[in-house]
Amino acid sequence: MAVDRRKIAVFGAAFVLRLLLTCFFPSLPDLLTGRVEVSTPVNSFKRLQEGLFLYTGNVSPYDGGVFHQAPLLLPLFALLPNAKSSPLPTAIFYFLVDLLNAHALVNISASGQSVKSKLHSAVRKHVQWDGVSVAAWFLFNPFTIATCLARSTSVFTTSGILFAVSNAVAGNSINAMLALGFASYLSLYPALLFIPLVLLCYDRRSEGPSPPNVGSFIVQQAALLLASVAGLIGLSCLITGSFWEFISATYGFHLLVPDLTPNVGLWWYFFIEMFDSFREFFLGVFWLHLASYVGGLTARFRSQPLFIITSLLGVFAIFKPYSSISDASLFFALLPLYRHLFPLMRYTFFAGSAILYSSLLGPAFYHLWIYAGSGNANFFYAITLVWSLGLSILLADTVFAALRDEWEQEHPEQVGTEVRQV
Amino acid sequence: MMTKTGDQESPASASQVDQPSVKRAPPPETPAAVQTRFRVIAAFWAVIIFLGFPIWWKTTSIYRASLPIEEMVDWADGKACRPVFPLEIHLATPSMQSFEAQHLLRTTQHTLDDLNEFAAHHLRLKLTNGSTTAHNSEDSSESVKYPAETADTALTVRLLPQDGLAGPWSELHAATTQLDIFYPPSQVPVPSSSNSPLSAFIAAELQRLYGEEKATIAHILSGNTAGLDSTSPQLAEDIDRRLRRSMKYAETYHLSFSLFTPGSEPSSWDIEAAVNEYVSPLLQALSPISNFTVDTQVQLYANFAPTAPKPEYDESEAAWTLKKEDLSAFVNAAEWPLNPSIGNGPTINFILYVPDPSQSPLLVNENRASSWMIPQWGGVFLLNPPLSNTEQGGRSNPAHLSQDSLGPAFMTFSHQLLTLLGTPSTPASLPLRLQTSIRIRAATLLLSASATMGSLARLTESLPSIPIPATVATSVSTTLSHLSASCVYLREGRFGAALASARVAETEAERSFFEKSMVGQVYFPDEHKVAVYLPLLGPIGVPLVVGLLKELKRIAGRRKAKGTAS
Repeated sequence: MAVDRRKIAVFGAAFVLRLLLTCFFPSLPDLLTGRVEVSTPVNSFKRLQEGLFLYTGNVSPYDGGVFHQAPLLLPLFALLPNAKSSPLPTAIFYFLVDLLNAHALVNISASGQSVKSKLHSAVRKHVQWDGVSVAAWFLFNPFTIATCLARSTSVFTTSGILFAVSNAVAGNSINAMLALGFASYLSLYPALLFIPLVLLCYDRRSEGPSPPNVGSFIVQQAALLLASVAGLIGLSCLITGSFWEFISATYGFHLLVPDLTPNVGLWWYFFIEMFDSFREFFLGVFWLHLASYVGGLTARFRSQPLFIITSLLGVFAIFKPYSSISDASLFFALLPLYRHLFPLMRYTFFAGSAILYSSLLGPAFYHLWIYAGSGNANFFYAITLVWSLGLSILLADTVFAALRDEWEQEHPEQVGTEVRQV
Repeated sequence: MMTKTGDQESPASASQVDQPSVKRAPPPETPAAVQTRFRVIAAFWAVIIFLGFPIWWKTTSIYRASLPIEEMVDWADGKACRPVFPLEIHLATPSMQSFEAQHLLRTTQHTLDDLNEFAAHHLRLKLTNGSTTAHNSEDSSESVKYPAETADTALTVRLLPQDGLAGPWSELHAATTQLDIFYPPSQVPVPSSSNSPLSAFIAAELQRLYGEEKATIAHILSGNTAGLDSTSPQLAEDIDRRLRRSMKYAETYHLSFSLFTPGSEPSSWDIEAAVNEYVSPLLQALSPISNFTVDTQVQLYANFAPTAPKPEYDESEAAWTLKKEDLSAFVNAAEWPLNPSIGNGPTINFILYVPDPSQSPLLVNENRASSWMIPQWGGVFLLNPPLSNTEQGGRSNPAHLSQDSLGPAFMTFSHQLLTLLGTPSTPASLPLRLQTSIRIRAATLLLSASATMGSLARLTESLPSIPIPATVATSVSTTLSHLSASCVYLREGRFGAALASARVAETEAERSFFEKSMVGQVYFPDEHKVAVYLPLLGPIGVPLVVGLLKELKRIAGRRKAKGTAS
């Protein structure tokens, strides 16, 4: 049971590291909670506290327009002791969610879907990390740690997505859809992962003895997803009482992006500058832009559904409204599954430096703008552009590597030859 | 924008990567790769066509409700309505024979018509018997508020014979709309004569009463007083000055009564009683014209502005005096809390200033006056209450101002209020002046709402890109219907109703003109849209369009190849 012992060691070390950070730097969680890179209006723990206060005071949590998260989080957090007076239980709860996410990653990795699926088999199958290493990459990623310490509610969306994927790779389509329903209920955008996830489930199912019919399978899964989301929304209605108030405060807020607080995404600056009369149009453009990748990537990578999900998560990390480093950490969590693609990537150094550069300079420029007053909004915006550039390069490089991998599979004689643009 | 990085190259890169050398041709694409590429391009274009275009259409189309442009322009040009002011004047002749009265009426009307040179404003005489006269005169102020189906009675003239008079003389009741004319019985016109001294006197008297009103209305309708030859330059200047001094018309005025004093006393005043006594009746009478709210405040330790000239002691008058030219600096606008506006509508400020005992009494140097008016802003009254000796040997103001001591100040304030609202200074009867005020306001609002309609019509014509919400169309139609109603009421002589309609028309016209959603795009010409769309959509669009063209070319080429093959 060497592997298990390694897993325990990694998980334990991750837990202890988080605990030590919380205990030795008691102000660190609150500092991170206030950072715009970590906390956006839709996942901020501070706002959750506000909603929780209103909720426990029997006032609608959406009164006051501060809280924009799903209402089912409220009874959950109401069970935990007050995070202000005794922060440790809440923190430990978040640590455990992180470990669960890592566990889901181990399962995904163990399935081997990233290297060998029904329709595709990678050339460099042997170049691979095992599940524990992948989990370690996730657990010791500074972005993940920061998200976890900041108690951002994005971690629950991350759990939903990772559990959906881990169930899908196991062919457990019902659980996958329920988990995706949970993630979509929390943050809306994971619903875009529906098509690749269904393909993943379908591929796993059709490997079995009785492959289901494609059309009816998709309809079934869609109905399941809708039912799970409807069920969660129904529960939320029981909690908040007013359907439209909660819908407009949560999903309306996600869709219409009324809060233009700076974050690492690309939307806030654009919509600050946008003429009011074109605001609706460009909201549509931005959302469609985000959604349009689903069709293209799915058509291109039909044979590798898990890779579609990975690259879509990368797209979301760059182009989604209210993006934070937690979205990037989810993308980075799935990337190590594609260890076999790393030798094919060409710009890892450039992408890595851009991401490092922006993660170091971002807080500095934000400080210059907001606190020191010696910079302006363009400073921080420029850094978020570099951040998005770094992620885009990484994403594009990964996609390129995957394509190259497919090509080499079709043309085994060409392995190792140089790429030329014609 | 770093859009479309990965997937744009995806269809192409599958076929274009991996060539060992330029000389060696790339391996041929498999049919599966070609189909995949087609699917990818189709997926992107499906999103654009089925979602993108509807969203573009929905979010950028400009809703323009249709407006009755021609009708609006007609109103603005004065073609739709020529405001007329037929004033109905009742002639009560309790001691005359019916035929004598008829004759007197005819000759007087004739004389009036001869005298009148401004056709829009004319006086119509009508006979009433004595019994209804009394009723009418009582009712006249009421009829303003509750417009009946019949025309408002502007004035009741009572002809009373009086022995021992050389010629007729008249007496105007100050509190009612009644003019008594006393005449020697011998002057009753005989039916054979075409004119008589009595009818000439009545006509001249009426002409005199309505002279100022006529000049004012002529001034408003034509924009200057030149239209009327008989208007004396003096009167024209008066009207001009009054119109300049009075506030712009508003639906609601806020009256703010403030007590300012540089010391600690007086610290209270019987303001409620004073307002009820002196201001409320006036506001009641003015209610058909505008709505009023009343606010009051007491401000202690209110000092003059440091730059303001100090009062000087005048030995001969034994009083402190302010120079007339320094009065404009009297109000310390920077420090005295005089809100420029309380809610919607302008504020009219009335300041009661009680000077420091060391500077009491305080007067205006030139004319010994204790009050003055600030045009379009309000009025100031210097109240010098009797001083009492304190135990320390000094003198102090009374701690409380009683209603009686406030009396003169509030009489002045009500007079200032009337002037600020543009009420004419003649004739002496207040109900008559209020009626005049109603007619003047009706004319002003009619013109102003019509002009607003014209401006709105021109604006929508000249800027085809501004949206016109349905609410604006509704407001415009409300305005137009109330304008025509107002015009009809004017023709019928029902001025109260005309003013009520004109007020609605004005409010709606302003609302439609200042609609917020219209203003947003006023300064946004069509050519700027290129600058809005291109920076983002250009980079996204180029690869998509090129991909589509290549694909179409390939399909067309294959068709052709098939055609030649078969």
